[in-house]
Parts: sequence; structure tokens; C-alpha cells
Amino acid sequence: MKHELLCQPASTAIRFSLEQGDELTCEVGAMIAMTKGITVETTSKSRGGSGGIMKGLKRMFSGENFFLNHFTAQQPNQSLIIGPTMLGDCTHHALSGGAMIVQGSSWVASDSGIQIDTTWQGFSSAFFSGESMFWVKCSGAGNLFLSSYGAIYSVEVDGEYTVDSGHIVAFEDTLQFRIGKAGKSLIGSFFGGEGLVCKFSGRGTLYCQTHNPPSLGKLLGPKLKPR
Amino acid sequence: MEVTIRNAPSFANLLVNLDPGDRIVAEADAMASMSSGIEMTTRWNGGVFRAIARRIFGGESIFVNEFKSTQSGHIVITQPFPGDMACLELKGNTMFLQPGAYIASEPQVTLGLGWAGIRSFISGEGLFRMKVSGYGRVWFGAYGAIFTRQVEGEYIVDTGHLVAYEPTIGIRVGMAGGIFASFFGGEGLITRVNGQGKIYMQSRSFEGLAAWTNAHL
Repeated sequence: MKHELLCQPASTAIRFSLEQGDELTCEVGAMIAMTKGITVETTSKSRGGSGGIMKGLKRMFSGENFFLNHFTAQQPNQSLIIGPTMLGDCTHHALSGGAMIVQGSSWVASDSGIQIDTTWQGFSSAFFSGESMFWVKCSGAGNLFLSSYGAIYSVEVDGEYTVDSGHIVAFEDTLQFRIGKAGKSLIGSFFGGEGLVCKFSGRGTLYCQTHNPPSLGKLLGPKLKPR
Repeated sequence: MEVTIRNAPSFANLLVNLDPGDRIVAEADAMASMSSGIEMTTRWNGGVFRAIARRIFGGESIFVNEFKSTQSGHIVITQPFPGDMACLELKGNTMFLQPGAYIASEPQVTLGLGWAGIRSFISGEGLFRMKVSGYGRVWFGAYGAIFTRQVEGEYIVDTGHLVAYEPTIGIRVGMAGGIFASFFGGEGLITRVNGQGKIYMQSRSFEGLAAWTNAHL
């Protein structure tokens, strides 16, 4: 399976070239176009994986859809184009055995070598950081595709690294994060608009998004008329 | 300190590489991520009273954050709008920035407040404008792409599209044509720019997005 990222970073789409038998699991609604030799199957469990309804329900908590779409090429030389709903970027990450913790709604697609599950990152981190309580955990070996609002940049963390809440896309599970204040003083952190931030430690790859939808929403909201 | 504008024009953001001792001042909530050796301190955006006045009338933040690196590292600074960013190199001169445009500046740059006038407020451009002066680089952002024009004499810009201008430029709000043309022609109020100097405009207006969204609610 080959892939190509098109139209980066504002309206990124991913084009796959599939050989017969290649399988790809995508977020519901991600398909933009495809050739006719590809079949689609909608289930609530990942390919070959266990779990059914419960996994689907858990996935809903993480901000993803209850269902997953499995695309399988039945003929050689097939092409599939997918893209996320929001304006923004997509990125590719090759997993080789470890796990990637993905912000709910940032997972777009992965091939059959990857298991998708939902993971709990703790109540306090969700409550204080404004991030989701449940995250998507992708493990195994294969190709993983992520999306963001804004452009995606990667950081190789070795030691400590700080990310403002709302800017995390995904991180390797060799990294841990805790909630901390942005500045030295708590009052300063609060009034400085940064509030609480996520402080990562460990060693691994971290993906961030350059923009965050709540910041735009905060500016647009007051300009909207009441419904 | 090395600053790069990345992902322009749709999702412009600043990648700032800091050497030990380097400092950069940024708008509140503009930090997206940073290395661990960087300390953040929060201060008033140009004095207590001015900061409060600016919050109430100008739509700017009361506070700005200063980031200081104790060791080599980087910080990513962003803006809420999907759009472009531009850099101004101040050499003792002054520039006016429209509310919300300011993103970051070098510490030698003075952040001040300029009175924009009642007419500016009525047209939705804010009662105050940000005045940046001194020596050093200033970065500002826009909703949409940024383009510039060297104005000589009179020039007309739709309200909501002007982002920054030199103090040699006078601003007057007026109607695009007669009353009929102004309100039914969709242009409404316009900004008459007068004088000699450089202006920066944005290719989209945030008010335009709000109006479009309102029509679809």
C-alpha cells in the first residue's frame, strides 16, 4: 500500500494506491472518492480484533464514531482518497511495535496491522487541560494517519517539553504527561491566558497542531446571534 | 534568536529558536508548545490602566507573556485565526496594528495604545489601536492572506480588512457610495486611508465569517 499526502496543509487529503487484498480502516465519513474494485464493510470492531459493541461505545467517548469503515481492495491497482471533515493537515506515522496515543477525533485511518482501542488518561488531566478524558490508543505495526485543525508539526521529545492544551494531536506511549502551570506563578499563568499546560517527559515522538478550534470559537462565538 | 514563519498563508505560525538569554514577548494564549528550558512571566500589556482600557474598548488582551530561555530551545507561537503572518522591522519608527493583530515582538519594542476615535469604534474597528514603536521585530497576524500597498494620497479599504499601517496614514470611516449603494451594494462602511505610507491588508474579514455563519444558523 502506497500513500501520498495531497494539498497540504490547509485542505489535506490522502491518496492510497492499493494492491489486491490491501486493507485500510478509516473513520466514518472520511472517504472522498475511490475506484470500483474496493469493498466497504462497516463494523464496530477493528479488523480481526476482539470486542464489538463495547469497543464502539468506548470509541464514542473518545470523540470518534461508533462505527469504523473497512476498505478492502478486491482487484489490483485500486485508488482511494480520504480526508478529514475540518480544514487542516494530515500526517503519517509508521508504528513498529509500540503504541501511539491519539487525541479523540484526530485518528483518520490505519492499516490492518494496527489495533485501535480507547484509553483513559485520567480525570484530572481531562478536567484541567481541556483535553478529552478518553484517547484513541493505536498499537501494533503498520501505517497510521492522523488529522488536525491547523498544520501538524512533530517534536522529538527527549527530556521535557510543554504543550498548550488543545494543541496535542498524538504522542508515543513512551512519553507521559502531567498537568502543570505555564509560568512560575499560578496567577500569572492564569491571567497570561495560557492557564494550565501539558508537560511531557520521556523520550519519543509528539505531534502537535499549530491552531486550535476553541481559540477561534472564543472569538467567533460572541459575534453570533442567539438561536 | 531565529524566527521562521511556517505554514503560510493558511496556518501561519512562528517557530522561534532561542539561544540562552534570548527573550520574546507574545500575546496571551499565543504559545502552542515550547522546550522545557523556557520560563514564562506574565506582565501588563503596556501599563495597568492602558491594559484595562484596551481590554474593554480595544478587544486586546490585558496581559502579555514574556518568554525567556535559560538554555537553547524553541517555542511555537500561533494565532487563533487561520491565516498569514508578517514581520515588521522597527528602526525607531512606529506602526499601528488593528485590534487582535499583534502576535509577538522582541523585548526592545514598546507596546503602546493609540486612540483610534469614535468613528473607528462605530465601524467595528475598535476605539483603540495598538501602537508598536522602538527597535526590533514585531510579528502580526491576519485572518486570510496578507498583502501590502504603498499608499500615496487616498485609498479605500473595506472595513475589517485593514490590519496595520504607518502613522503617516490617516484613517477615516465613511460610506462606500450614497446611502443606497452603501447598504444594498454590500460594501456598507469603508475605510478611507489618506497620506503617504505602507498599509497591510487581509484577504478575508472575520466579520464576514461571522455574518455568513449567522445567516446559516
